[in-house]
Amino acid sequence: MTYPIPLVPETSKPLPSLLEPEGLLSWVASVDHKQIGLMYLLASLAFFLVGGLEALLMRIQLGTPNNTFLSPAAYNQIFTMHGTTMIFLVVVPMLVGFATYLVPLMIGARDMAFPRLNAFSFWIFLFGGLLLYYSFIAGGAPDTGWFSYAPLSERAYSTSTGLDYWALGLLGVGVGTVAGGINLIVTILTRRIPGMNLRRVPLFVWMVLVNAFIILFALPPLNAALVMLLIDRLLNAHFFTPASGGSPLMWQHYFWAFGHPEVYIMILPAWGMISEVIPVFSRKPIFGYEFVAGSSVAIGFLSFAVYAHHMFTVGLGHPFDFAFSAASMLIAVPTGIKIFNWIATMWGGRIRFTTSMLFAASFLIMFTIGGITGVTFAIVPIDWQLTDSYYVVAHFHYVLFGGTLFAVFAGIYYWFPKMTGRLLSEKWGKWHFWLTLIGFNLTFFVQHILGIIGMARRAYTYPDLPGWGTMNMISTVGAFVMGLSVLVFIWNIIVSLRRGQPAGDNPWQAWTLEWATTSPPPVHNFDRLPPVRSRRPLWDLAHPENPDWKHGK
Amino acid sequence: MLTEKNKLGVILFIGSETIFFTLLLLAYLYFQAGATAGSGPTAASSLNPLTTGLFSLFLFASSYTIWRADKSLARQSRRGLLLWLLATIVLGVIFLVGQGLEWRHLIAESTTISRNLFGTTFFTLTGFHGFHVLVGLVALAIVLGLAWLGDFNSPKSSAIESISLYWHFVDVVWVVIFAVVYLRLLL
Amino acid sequence: MFNPVSSQAQSITNLFNLTMLIAAVILLLVTGLVLYVSFRYRARPGEGEPRQIFGHRNLEIAWTAAPAMLLAVLAGLTLHTMRLSDPSIPSQTQPDVVIVGHQWWWEVRYPKSGVVTANEIHLPVGQKLLAQIESADVIHSFWVPQLGRKMDAIPGHSNHLWLQTDQPGIYLGTCAEYCGTEHAWMRIRVIAQPPGDFEAWQQAQLQSPQIPSEGDAAKGAQIFQEKTCVVCHTNGIGPDLTHVGSRDTLAAGVLENTPTNMTKWLKNPQTVKPGSNMPNFNLSDAEIQALTAYLEASK
Repeated sequence: MTYPIPLVPETSKPLPSLLEPEGLLSWVASVDHKQIGLMYLLASLAFFLVGGLEALLMRIQLGTPNNTFLSPAAYNQIFTMHGTTMIFLVVVPMLVGFATYLVPLMIGARDMAFPRLNAFSFWIFLFGGLLLYYSFIAGGAPDTGWFSYAPLSERAYSTSTGLDYWALGLLGVGVGTVAGGINLIVTILTRRIPGMNLRRVPLFVWMVLVNAFIILFALPPLNAALVMLLIDRLLNAHFFTPASGGSPLMWQHYFWAFGHPEVYIMILPAWGMISEVIPVFSRKPIFGYEFVAGSSVAIGFLSFAVYAHHMFTVGLGHPFDFAFSAASMLIAVPTGIKIFNWIATMWGGRIRFTTSMLFAASFLIMFTIGGITGVTFAIVPIDWQLTDSYYVVAHFHYVLFGGTLFAVFAGIYYWFPKMTGRLLSEKWGKWHFWLTLIGFNLTFFVQHILGIIGMARRAYTYPDLPGWGTMNMISTVGAFVMGLSVLVFIWNIIVSLRRGQPAGDNPWQAWTLEWATTSPPPVHNFDRLPPVRSRRPLWDLAHPENPDWKHGK
Repeated sequence: MLTEKNKLGVILFIGSETIFFTLLLLAYLYFQAGATAGSGPTAASSLNPLTTGLFSLFLFASSYTIWRADKSLARQSRRGLLLWLLATIVLGVIFLVGQGLEWRHLIAESTTISRNLFGTTFFTLTGFHGFHVLVGLVALAIVLGLAWLGDFNSPKSSAIESISLYWHFVDVVWVVIFAVVYLRLLL
Repeated sequence: MFNPVSSQAQSITNLFNLTMLIAAVILLLVTGLVLYVSFRYRARPGEGEPRQIFGHRNLEIAWTAAPAMLLAVLAGLTLHTMRLSDPSIPSQTQPDVVIVGHQWWWEVRYPKSGVVTANEIHLPVGQKLLAQIESADVIHSFWVPQLGRKMDAIPGHSNHLWLQTDQPGIYLGTCAEYCGTEHAWMRIRVIAQPPGDFEAWQQAQLQSPQIPSEGDAAKGAQIFQEKTCVVCHTNGIGPDLTHVGSRDTLAAGVLENTPTNMTKWLKNPQTVKPGSNMPNFNLSDAEIQALTAYLEASK
């Protein structure tokens, strides 16, 4: 007996009773990885809208010099919440949501290794996020930036309880994330069907595996720093208070020991999505599977060795700075080769520019821009000038939005049919894509220049210096174009859920196991599984005259 | 062993928690190294390795008793399983009581978490360890309860093996804390 | 950064320009390739599957080695520029200027002459001065792009920075580490002067300002004492105002220094710089007029 996930509402079907298997309560009580994955995606989408609103408010304030739309107190809370939301409540949960949904399907499993732990991870993430937002009505949101340096974050300088909610909320999210990491590793290592060895899993699975290990070792420094901060604030302790012998620098070391690997946590699954989308729409296998996988493993290790490039201006001494500089340059190598592998995948292909592929192809350029500015930050003296300026704001938005979010959009257009049974509209998709591409670049490209000419980040306003107002206005206009693109995107989702073209099992003629079942899949995922003798079981099935395993792949 | 999901899960969890404890320990060591004279109570002035060593022995012994519990399970001796699990819990409780008494003594002398950096780092480190012991005791109590109700009818139980691994981990963490915080005072 | 005025800043800008050139080439290459494959290999109707290619080991080695070598060169240039832009400081060197970050203003002291001022830093051109960067409260960061690198001001941890230029002029900077409510208005003004002018400025700073003994300014001097302004403004809680009349800006750059603006500030600092640590003293208009005259006369 199969119970399809109730995402394709049929006309005139009455609202299901809360107690029926298809009702709302079934979602709350669900331990099914597909439902949990969808809840992650829905929650992160909701937080994305909130974070985006926060961004628009910021951009209105910054549109003109000496503006008074937002008071400094309000602005500072909003920029803190914007960063915290986008990182902890949008990007990471969205990627975890995709992993939760897709990984068991991609390896032929029925569910994750620990379904109840999976549910726990989701609900504690949601609880942490809500706790964080509760701060707005409980005395004020945190206002010390998403990385909350000490001693500004100590009670002596931040009396509102916002920071306590921040720390507690993030602890919740952090615990959930670690649990999710454990679940994904154990699932990938123990739940693959026979024939699906680690050299044959989809690259998305490889990326998620490396990612989960990073999570396991990167979250503890954050958890340690957060509990130390809470103990300082709530129990009058002294970890980070210089007046009583504490060390503000310890906060920075611990935070960035988490914070740098965190940015790789935020990109690796996105790379995995690109590695699935580009081959399918180029009609070729991924070029250099082993190198894409291997370079990601290298990045997993290296990501812990570069963290102090966030601390070049602290005055830790040239030898220390240079060591981290060299490591940061080194990590650019495995990152860069992936771009070449993806382009080589497209080379000689028969490329179909669906909306998904449009996002994936432009990801290559957007992420390269972000990657290049990242390398400029590895160059210590350049960092000495440009860190903490709008140049770094431009850099990380290029890698996180132009990179991760573009990849996520590619992934959404690609997997939405599998998850819901309907295709997203290509017409609205094209609008979404072009508005996003234009709006995003309009918003963030000028910010490189603003940084170079001296505009510091996290400033609620700025003086009327030549060009500053004009460039900020361009950026603000771009932000509103992005806002429009998001509305188009939401519209596409709503319209397609109701009237989208039915997708069938494999609308893209893709080759990995998630496409070997219905859209959406039944609760138990698969009725039958094709034999797995290569990385592309469905290709082998469709091309018995030229299967991959004949080439040893 | 690595392909059994519960044990793998616990091992990964232990890996993560190891980093967490290492960082708390590093904070303790960093501030101890930088402590200046006259900044209040220190490990040397407030701690007693001998009394702490005494109640630590109970925790170390509990690693032995849980190992005996594993062996009883393998032999399918229900009585053995119940008794050795109970012994482990009792020993763990004695450890926590000892820890609590130590804390009470320190606090009575105004060596609190807010007193100075020794207090801050000491209570944070031992506090989180104690919390992990408590969580372990809860897990053991649940296992004891299930065993009492007749569960664990096969010689192998990944649940018990996993919880044992966790318990040994908690013990090893204390070995390290005890060595670094207390034993060094004897040198 | 486009207009460096010191050799330190110049060395950084040079490296940045080179890096941007390399970056442009790489970006053009990647963009070009993506656009090329997108057009050249676009699917045309009726085509079957293309040739399935799985990889090419030598290509992988090539495009791993080439970036690695390029980065090695950049690493060497990094080291070189680090030395040029942040020269080492011989031990035992005494600072020429001590800059202390406060929420939300900069305390500026010249230990060798005894001059104390705030937010505006005068320098003689053609000399290399050692600045000691400190913080009285939270982490700030001292950044004047035209002069060179930024350096964090960390409580309990002194940092050092060389300040030098050969070109007289005014160079703007800002605090570059989020430090609370008014981080945006913790601006820095570096005034580089020919050595003679700098000496004259120093001398003037060391003298007491000439305040008329009658009129508004005299009244203002009295109010300054009676209303306890003097308590904060000579004890490092607020910026030193002894010669505030000679400064270009007020309140760390938020206002140009004019009597009108001084009045505006005194009327209610919280409307000009909300959250700043100077409370609204609810002064009467007459008191404000007197204080303004006094402060503007304090040149």
